[in-house]
Amino acid sequence: MSIPTLASIALWGLSQDFNRTETSLFYLRSNTYIALHKVLLFVCIYFGHSTQMKQTTRESMTLGIDDQISLLATMTAEFANTLNVDETLLRTLPQITDYLKAEGAAVFLMDEATQVISCVACHGATEITGLTLEYGQGIVGKCVATNTGALVRDVNDHPDFYGAIDDQTGFVTRSILCAPLSVKDRCVGAIELVNKRNPDDLFEDNDLKILETLAASAALAVLNARMATALVEQERVKRELELAAEIQRRFLPEAGTGDTLTAPITGINKAARGVSGDFFDYFTLPDGRIYFGLGDVSGKGINAALLMSKTASLFRCLGKTVRDPGKLLGRINAELCETAAHGMFVTMACGIYDPREGCEGLIRLANAGHEPVLLYRDGAFSTYEAGGPPLGIVPPLPGENGAYEEVQIFPNGGSLYIYTDGLTEGYTETGAPLEDTGVQEILERHKDLSLQDQLKHLVAAVFHPGMKLRDDVTVLALTDGLRPADKTASPALSPSLRVDDESDGDWLIDFKFPAQPSWMKLARACVREACLKVGCDKTMTNDVVLAVDEACQNVIRHAYGGPSDEEIELSVRHRPARLIFRLRDFAPLVEPSKIKPRDLEDIRPGGLGTHLIKEVMDEVQYLRPTQGEGNLLKLVKHIHISKD
Amino acid sequence: MNLSTREENGIVIFELDGEVDLETSPKLRQALLQQVNAGKSVCVGMQDVAYIDSSGIASLVEAYQTARRNSSGFGLACISDSAIRVLQLARLDKVFTIYDTIETAVSDLST
Repeated sequence: MSIPTLASIALWGLSQDFNRTETSLFYLRSNTYIALHKVLLFVCIYFGHSTQMKQTTRESMTLGIDDQISLLATMTAEFANTLNVDETLLRTLPQITDYLKAEGAAVFLMDEATQVISCVACHGATEITGLTLEYGQGIVGKCVATNTGALVRDVNDHPDFYGAIDDQTGFVTRSILCAPLSVKDRCVGAIELVNKRNPDDLFEDNDLKILETLAASAALAVLNARMATALVEQERVKRELELAAEIQRRFLPEAGTGDTLTAPITGINKAARGVSGDFFDYFTLPDGRIYFGLGDVSGKGINAALLMSKTASLFRCLGKTVRDPGKLLGRINAELCETAAHGMFVTMACGIYDPREGCEGLIRLANAGHEPVLLYRDGAFSTYEAGGPPLGIVPPLPGENGAYEEVQIFPNGGSLYIYTDGLTEGYTETGAPLEDTGVQEILERHKDLSLQDQLKHLVAAVFHPGMKLRDDVTVLALTDGLRPADKTASPALSPSLRVDDESDGDWLIDFKFPAQPSWMKLARACVREACLKVGCDKTMTNDVVLAVDEACQNVIRHAYGGPSDEEIELSVRHRPARLIFRLRDFAPLVEPSKIKPRDLEDIRPGGLGTHLIKEVMDEVQYLRPTQGEGNLLKLVKHIHISKD
Repeated sequence: MNLSTREENGIVIFELDGEVDLETSPKLRQALLQQVNAGKSVCVGMQDVAYIDSSGIASLVEAYQTARRNSSGFGLACISDSAIRVLQLARLDKVFTIYDTIETAVSDLST
């Protein structure tokens, strides 16, 4: 192919591609790119030589150009195909040095963060790998700073020459040829050649043009390699995120384990990104009750995911021992306030479901700043709003446990749904957010499906294949509909385990004290005064004091398993002709089946106390507190007012 | 609760006063068992017992049963109204040997 033809093709290439050649093509490392680049190189060389054409014959010039094209093509291919730039530079530097008949060559790269320029490869002359220059220092530094090549035939006359290196190495620099490693305006370093081998020769303009052309290729290679490194790093981060997401998924109870058609509880979590700031969890306590919780960490991404992991761990760990949802949220809140990053918080709802026989499927629920919890019962929805702020914002007051408010729900065969705002704020197919009304419509429509299928319908309403979720979406559902219907077998509760109506009678005493023997004397004094106040005679007063004392002892011995710092709440109320005592503890719920009358003839210590209570009191009832965990004993004494 | 101890004619006499409850009864139990386990006959004077609960009664029951096993004597004497009321409620008033005075108890137990 003749030179004019090549040149015209090249010019056509330039006119067609000049605008995007340097910006878009260096992303490619295809043969097409290399081929086109060769053409461009040729054009550079061709026009570079035009000034010399007058002094050389056409034949010798063609020969020179052929050599140059060959060198440049080889170099360009080397650079274009390498990701190990340092090694390629080391291998190509001797060729460049030889071709331009220089004594030595060095490549400098600039750290784009610090702007320190350091020698990464050198050949001939003297070993200066590792040598660093400030931005703008010396001829090389200036070349980088101005993004312009330099041809210095005599360094002694040049103001930018930095002689310190010669002083250190003993090398004598006479002349320097330096070209920036740059792509458009972005300069990443420079190639420097020193001294023509023949002291009588001088670097020529054409040498600089060749070096600049090579430098352009090398710069592409450097940027390519840097991008590749960045890509590798991105890939590594991506893999780590995938791993983190996988570990996170394992925090969640595994969907599909067990029979999802008969499981009373299930959940779904869909992350908007790889990792999620939402979580749900549930586990069964040793007594058969089910602890469940769902949380939503503010924000998205890895920082939210980390806080989510912490909160989920706290829930599972503390939940094993703190069996009051309100207290548990208080504990998690205190932990998060101590250690969570500022500005991050967690909204969370959690509860305990009691599927045991005779417990009516009682749900005790606490809500820390979370979306209202939804109950579908007897064909209607009711909601349970947050009873306190999100976790991690307001630390508990000193000396207080910061427990959250608790509500009791008798689901009566209905189902409870907890979800994050990713669901209600998620876009439906029409582009409008789903909202609470949308959630209720879907649940109503699919009320006869299994829990898992109901939740799938909910998530499908805002999750459209191929579209990104707006936010993490998490839903948890619990149904009381699968519990054996003890309400038909044993009407409502066994008579001995009713929820207490606390509003009866005139107030006499409310006394709260630790479950310690040393507090009994004071408790007795309170009861004695109450009895005397309403006119009980001495014997009845003594009897009542004894019975209440025995009841407290039973709490200490049997509910708390010995003296404890946990509390006993004693209240005394007066109604006409009767005194009503309530004794409340905060020990784990005594199973209804275990509450049975003791043998009156049994005089074991515990049995003796219970016997005394029954001897003295006219009514003895084991009840369930209206709020929170524990047991409630209601004692009623019919009183006869003494005449004196 | 206060507990004084003396010995007369080989009979160990405890005199109890004040309130015997969950907090104080362990002390009573330990003192009684120490004597009955040593084979001593014991009389518990309860004239000034203002209050006794099931744990106090249980200590007396345990000491009484131990004494019977050791074939030594065990009696309660001059029991206060409030204490006898609790024994009645516990249906133990017929179980214990109860004397009107410590003197009669000592003379009966030492024979």
